[in-house]
Amino acid sequence: MKINYILSVLLSACLSWAAAQVPEPAAEQTQAILLKGGIAHLGNGEVIDNSLIAFDQGIITLVADATKARIDIAGYTIIDVTGQHVYPGFILPNSQVGIEEVSSVRAMSDSRETGRFNPNVRSLVSYNTDSELPPTFRFMGILLAETTPVGGVISGTSSLMNLDGWNWEDAVNTADLAIHMNWPGRITGRFDFATFTFSRKPNKNYANEVAEIAAFFDDALAYGALAAKERNLKLEAMQGLFDGSKVLMIHTNGPKEIVESVKMAQAKGVEHIAVVTGTGALAVKEFLADNNIPAVIQRVHSLPDRADMDVDLPYRLPVELTRAGVKVALSHTGMLALARNLPFYAGTAVAYGLDKEEALKLITLNTAEILGVGNKMGSLKEGKQANLFVSRGDALDFRTNKLTHAYIQGREIILNGRQEALFERYTKKYSNE
Amino acid sequence: MRKLILVWMLAVYAASGWAQVTFPRNDVKDERERAFAFTNATIVTDYQTIFTNGVMLIRDGKIEYVGDSRAVPAGYTVIDVQGKYIYPSLIDIYTTYGVPKAERPKGSRWRGAEQIEPKTKGAYNANDAIKSDYSAAENFSIDTKKAEALRKAGFGTVNTFHADGLARGTSAFVTLGEDSENNVLLNEHAAAHYSFNTGSSTQNYPVSTMGFIALLRQTYLDAEWYGRQNPRPFKDQALEHWLLSQSLPQIFAARNWLEVLRADKLGDEFGVQYIIKGSGDEYKRLTEIKATNATLIVPVNFPDAYEVDDPIDAMDVSLADMKHWELAPTNLAALYRAGVNFAITTADLAKPADFWPNLRKAIANGLPQQAALKALTYTPANLLGEYGQVGSLAKGKLANFIITSEQLFADKTIIHENWVQGNRFVLKPLSVADNRGKYDLSLGNTVYKVKITGEPGKQKARIEVNDSTNIDLTTKFAKEILTASFKPAGGDGLVRLSGWRTHNGWKGTGKLADGSDVTWTLVRTGDVQPKEKKGKEGDKPQVPDLGEVIYPFVAYGAPTLPQQQTILFKNATVWTSDEAGVLENTDVLLKEGKIAQIGKNLSATGARVIDASGKHLTPGIIDEHSHIGATSINDVATNSGMVRIGDVIDPEQINIYRALSGGVVALQILHGSANPIGGQSALIKLRWGESPEKMKIAGADGFIKFALGENVKRSRNPSSIRFPQTRMGVEQAFMDAFSSAKAYEQKWQAYNALPKKAKAKAVPPRRDLADEAMLEIIKGERFISCHSYVQSEINMLMKVAERFGFRVNTFTHILEGYKVADIMREHGAGASTFSDWWAYKWEVRYAIPYNATIMHDAGVTVAINSDDANQIRRLNQEAAKSVKYGGMSEEEALKMVTINPAKLLHLDDHMGSITVGKDADVVLWSGHPLSVYSIAEKTLVDGKVYYDLEQDRARREYIRAERARLIQKMKEAKKNGSRTRKGKSKQKLDFHCDDITYDSFLE
Repeated sequence: MKINYILSVLLSACLSWAAAQVPEPAAEQTQAILLKGGIAHLGNGEVIDNSLIAFDQGIITLVADATKARIDIAGYTIIDVTGQHVYPGFILPNSQVGIEEVSSVRAMSDSRETGRFNPNVRSLVSYNTDSELPPTFRFMGILLAETTPVGGVISGTSSLMNLDGWNWEDAVNTADLAIHMNWPGRITGRFDFATFTFSRKPNKNYANEVAEIAAFFDDALAYGALAAKERNLKLEAMQGLFDGSKVLMIHTNGPKEIVESVKMAQAKGVEHIAVVTGTGALAVKEFLADNNIPAVIQRVHSLPDRADMDVDLPYRLPVELTRAGVKVALSHTGMLALARNLPFYAGTAVAYGLDKEEALKLITLNTAEILGVGNKMGSLKEGKQANLFVSRGDALDFRTNKLTHAYIQGREIILNGRQEALFERYTKKYSNE
Repeated sequence: MRKLILVWMLAVYAASGWAQVTFPRNDVKDERERAFAFTNATIVTDYQTIFTNGVMLIRDGKIEYVGDSRAVPAGYTVIDVQGKYIYPSLIDIYTTYGVPKAERPKGSRWRGAEQIEPKTKGAYNANDAIKSDYSAAENFSIDTKKAEALRKAGFGTVNTFHADGLARGTSAFVTLGEDSENNVLLNEHAAAHYSFNTGSSTQNYPVSTMGFIALLRQTYLDAEWYGRQNPRPFKDQALEHWLLSQSLPQIFAARNWLEVLRADKLGDEFGVQYIIKGSGDEYKRLTEIKATNATLIVPVNFPDAYEVDDPIDAMDVSLADMKHWELAPTNLAALYRAGVNFAITTADLAKPADFWPNLRKAIANGLPQQAALKALTYTPANLLGEYGQVGSLAKGKLANFIITSEQLFADKTIIHENWVQGNRFVLKPLSVADNRGKYDLSLGNTVYKVKITGEPGKQKARIEVNDSTNIDLTTKFAKEILTASFKPAGGDGLVRLSGWRTHNGWKGTGKLADGSDVTWTLVRTGDVQPKEKKGKEGDKPQVPDLGEVIYPFVAYGAPTLPQQQTILFKNATVWTSDEAGVLENTDVLLKEGKIAQIGKNLSATGARVIDASGKHLTPGIIDEHSHIGATSINDVATNSGMVRIGDVIDPEQINIYRALSGGVVALQILHGSANPIGGQSALIKLRWGESPEKMKIAGADGFIKFALGENVKRSRNPSSIRFPQTRMGVEQAFMDAFSSAKAYEQKWQAYNALPKKAKAKAVPPRRDLADEAMLEIIKGERFISCHSYVQSEINMLMKVAERFGFRVNTFTHILEGYKVADIMREHGAGASTFSDWWAYKWEVRYAIPYNATIMHDAGVTVAINSDDANQIRRLNQEAAKSVKYGGMSEEEALKMVTINPAKLLHLDDHMGSITVGKDADVVLWSGHPLSVYSIAEKTLVDGKVYYDLEQDRARREYIRAERARLIQKMKEAKKNGSRTRKGKSKQKLDFHCDDITYDSFLE
């Protein structure tokens, strides 16, 4: 079995890719494809045990139960995936993929612009399609990512990227879909490098900082209403929040801060609001549910914020919020490379009480809906983009997440990357000994 | 040396009486006897002796007589202290009174160029933190403001030191008099002081508590070596003073109970019993504190209640902080009951005025008054060897005493006077006239009935017009003069009176409302009957309702520790991690902390049977590379081989419990990677609730951290000047360390080979703790775990080791191990790696998740480690990733977190697998141990259940209930006027390799 495994990896590596570059972007879908016999996890909570999934020109054309549906298979390239699992492509929100390479090297990071209010800054234009991280994400089934600026009060505008493409223009799936805002904390956790200690202190400046943000929103609203004006790039970039074309992503983990920030945004007429948050949201989960505010969880695999907290609270967080009626998506914060473990965060939610198909939503349909692209992707549904993959087994568990095919807008992408090539090289080196 | 001490003592004797005589005079001679007699007093001469109706005679600042009543000879000023109490004045053994404060270093030591050499100018120590040459006496000057505050609290003498450095020099014993330094300085060599705080030093090494301990150990050794040589090999005035001060009382400052234990352990190594200044949290670990046999100096710095009105804000206050708020006032009583000897200090108080309220709180919580008095008089005097002068009232001793209104520790006692060396300081006058009574106020032709009530000093007067109408008579009583005024009924003008005391009242002149003159008398006519106080019985203060001490003293601690049980797991899927492989439907019997039996259909009488059907039992997870459970992780000397993590184990870190919840039973706490040669590791089992020493794995081999690459060459500090700055230099740092150790070995061999006589005469070579650690490595007595990333450096260290004839035990992280797996196998090095970390810095650019699989397949023993308090909870899942990446078999994958790390840590003879005879360290999983869907239900260490899902739920409930109770109690305290403070929980840091703490600042 071991030998077979290595052979299969070697084979696919040899076929597809040899140079020390990221895999070549896939060509447009020219041939209609039918995946036959797979266990299809639709992403909306439903499963078809023996499915037919077809897509053409990048769009899903058929999602059906093979035991019931009758279709004409002429014109389709048929791929038998019997016994394998078919999933909608996982979507990674709130990530610095493509704009950060090696985090400790300043020259290799383009994620943090200077200044406090930068809605005009767009991650899209510095997205590096030659980044070496996306291949490792795709390898796990993560096919799209929201590349997101960080820093300041308003960090900038994010875009949803296909994790495959020749250049950013070509790789963008949905441009400029969200503005990210870091809400100030009432308590500031300050890390002091001089003493290397961490202390939490009340933020005396909180009210001023909040007032400054509110004023910025007011100015943006007033700007939008002016007929004739000198162009202001910052205020212009904010207009999408008021016309419903952009989502406001509020980053905060403070319960009171969640309420205050959401109320501020609502008062200013922001249509789509989401919070990027952690266990702090639990104290106000009813508020989120009552106001239909979805939550993007920063990182399921994290430590509780306080010693007194339930040991498994971060693991349980998606479950608790979902049960309270909050729409939840999962993201990753911290070491960028570890974002590839997104599927296992959903797996953890299962271990702590969520149904598997419900958990799948947290990294597919819910994410798409929160980002405002639920009509285009996030589930296996006719008419949606053909962002999907096939895995030998359960893609939410370590041992069985083994992709055999993956498609972004119908284009079959190369799954192996440099890491697989190195595996091949050194396996060969030692087997020749 | 003895000679010098004698000289010191003479100097003290000379200084205390006649110093003024030597001073120039600018007047006629004016010397007075200053003889006083105190009569009719209740005199408490020491903490065990009371004279009721006693007499005390003092002259010239000394006590001449104290005891039963007797006639006072002529020539004494007699002070009748009828009804009052006289006590020896209190002694504070731990102050910085009158000694200049040291500057704290400003700015960051994190960035910028390191200060490798000492900054102190002159012939002093190699390290700025060793300030044993500092003399508090030389820098002492009277601070009248502070002296007054201390006298107000009843103190008469204090020991005062310079709070700066690890070795802080000698303290001075001084009175709180104000006439001149010459008179108040009693002993300029009172005690030697030490701490775990480098203070004003900005020298690069040491920055961590373990470094502080290492430096103090090395200094003991250096001083001994230095002191044996005459002439000296070089001059070091700090070492000279160190040597001299060894015969003094040795006082060590500890900031928490852990540091009390650490200080005591340090002293034990060098035959020193420190007097240890504690922090007031000793009740948290009484057994271990008692076992030190140290006398403690204990503050009464009880924390204020927290503001907990808002439930969301209250989350910022931890259970541990809340419990400490409640239990801190019980600390002294607990120490007393445990039989710990202690002195009480005013140190650490937010303000000196808190001393008495807090001390009374301690007494209300069970500290006997006699013990309190002892701890403030006899004990400090005795510890300092000053009982001949102070600490009790006896002939020949200093006339240092206080006069109090009642028994010293009673609730409303007033300290009237504080006498220092026969000098009188009046705080509240002894005799305040009691004017209570009924009077007739005759004012011209009018007579008013007047009633004066209230305690002396706070008396109020009013004119009784009839049964229901009173007029306030505003009065101001001086000793002999009365000023009064009132508005007569019906009139609107003010009557103003001024007069003097007579035999039966008062008399005087005044002005009526219209401004006309009047004479008046106030004649006493009788007593006022004091009002009966009601409801006394029910009002008695209740015995405080207190929560219990939990072990450890944080959330998820418990009042009792788990007990060893005989446990039989039935029908489990057993992953043995040994040759037996995975056994279906198998029973495992744990007995006396060991795995007793594995098989089918086992039974055992008295065993707790756990149905494990459908569940999986695995060996406990072992983490080869962790940084939880220690106060600090990094010191920064290029060769830090002398520092030891084992000196700074912190069993109160919540991450230990969290790791247990992920099935971890044991780990290696590794030093960080800030230097090529890091400190010595500690191998611990996660015995949650036990003391630091009991966490350690007995008999484990010694390990040490080495490191390579970016961290070692300080890549993220562009201003760093510390050698080495390149991987080339790193090799040389190793070559140097091992060459030095070889030379060291030869020196000792030559010395040990000397004939007996010659050896007796020779000075033994200087002991060097870093060289000794290096020598242990060369000799195969200590084993390297080396932080490593890229292949060149990995290969380099193996070559260095081979040149010195030893092997690198383990490469940890080893992210490019897959490139040199064959060389590692040949060398005999093991690997402990991350599953899938990469791209977080340049040197991990070529890290691949297939690393573990490739190395394993190449024949290297491979473990998966965490280096992270978060990830340690999922090591089974981290191992599972090798099934995905590279197709490792599940059984082999699990071994990477069980038997393989046990092998790398040389623990595999008794840990790491489910094998009969091995330690009963096992985990029961809800499902397949490599699945994301499984959770640890029980984690056992030595057959004791340290984590259990149900028990965890119970502890959550306990935390909830206990927090609710304490929040109620705090709210009541606030209502009753207690000070409160905002919730501000300090977080313990979760360490990684790269983290350097500046422990001097840790509170």
